[in-house]
This record gives sequence, C-alpha cells and structure tokens, in this order.
Amino acid sequence: MTPEELQNVEAAKIIDARGTACPGPLLAAKKAIGEIESGEIMEVLSSDEGTKKDIPRWSKKKNHDFLGIIEEDSYARLFLKKG
Amino acid sequence: MPKLVLALGSPTLDKLTSAGVIMTGAAADDMEIEVFILVNAGHAFKKNAEINQMSDHTQTADEFNGELTRLNSSNWLELFEMSKELTDVTIHVCSLAGKIANAEQMEDFIDIVDDICGIGEYIDSAKEADINLII
Repeated sequence: MTPEELQNVEAAKIIDARGTACPGPLLAAKKAIGEIESGEIMEVLSSDEGTKKDIPRWSKKKNHDFLGIIEEDSYARLFLKKG
Repeated sequence: MPKLVLALGSPTLDKLTSAGVIMTGAAADDMEIEVFILVNAGHAFKKNAEINQMSDHTQTADEFNGELTRLNSSNWLELFEMSKELTDVTIHVCSLAGKIANAEQMEDFIDIVDDICGIGEYIDSAKEADINLII
C-alpha cells in the first residue's frame, strides 16, 4: 500500500516502540501480535532504522502481510496484517 | 521447529550481549534455542556474579552499559530472559565451565540455567541445528 493509502488504515493495535534500539521494536511486535486476530492490522512505531528491514522480513517469515511504511519526522510507522 | 545452537565461551559483557541479541532474533522467529556455556563463560552464570569485563578495550564496561542505557536497550540478562519468555530456550552449562567457575551444582547458578551437561550434548545438538554459532 502507498503511504497515502496507509494514512486511512485503522490499526487494531498500535505498538509504540520509539526510543528503543534493536531488538526492542521486533520483540514488541512479536509480543503484541498474539493480542490481535488474524486479518487485523497492527501498527508499529519505531525510531530504530533497523526495524524498517526487520519487521517486513519477520512478517514474511511468519506469514503476515506487510502493508508498508509511513515515514514521519523522527520515526517510522510500519503496518502489517496478521496472517 | 527450526533450531539455533549457540556456544558461548566468554563471560564478557559484549559477547554476552551479542548472544542475547541473537537469541531474541531467533525467539522472534519461534526458533528453538539451545545455549551451551563453555569454559570461562561459566563465571557469568554463577549466582552473584559481577560482569564487568569487555573482550577488547574499545570501551570500558561502564561506557558500554551507559550506551545500552542511552539507547534504551536491554542488558544481556534481560535479553536472555526475554528469549525464554518467547520461545523454547534451554541453557546448558558444560561441567568444565562450572568447574572453572567453581560452581558444580545447579544451586550455584542463576535461575535461567537449565542443566549441567557434558560436551557430547553440544555435539549432538549442533549436528541437528539449523544454525550453530560459537561466540
């Protein structure tokens, strides 16, 4: 999805991992994914550059659908749909 | 379940932290993890151990811990504990490592240690592992 399309996405769960370094955001996502249902969307907020690669890669391995990234000034918003 | 086997031979902060970071990555992937504590690494897993050495002189332990705090990053023991919460992790202490650390009984070690083993167990586990790392 494009960043413009993602602006309209409503996440069932938002994980704010800003301010934590690798592997913090990935672990936060891993812990939280169990709290939403298949087909629901989770948004991960991260200021760690590595997360932009970790979350898409992890989503693919775990059969979640990575939807895309919105870049904000000092952090990124990453969206995935639980598989 | 894919499996990571990690052999840790040093009780230094940077190597313990490296092991913890790798373990959390494997835990996020739902891998089974077996950690084998070898030779000098036994010192880090003794009760009341003070871990204040680095494997090189790039930073002091205080500087390293300060960086982890600044980055809001977990310390090595927290990373090990988080991995145990997330996936199937077994931490074995090789009996030689225990002897070197003057710790030969389970009660001599911190709670995250699961058993004391011989090196044959490491070889068998490494043979079956999808990833085998020596740190």
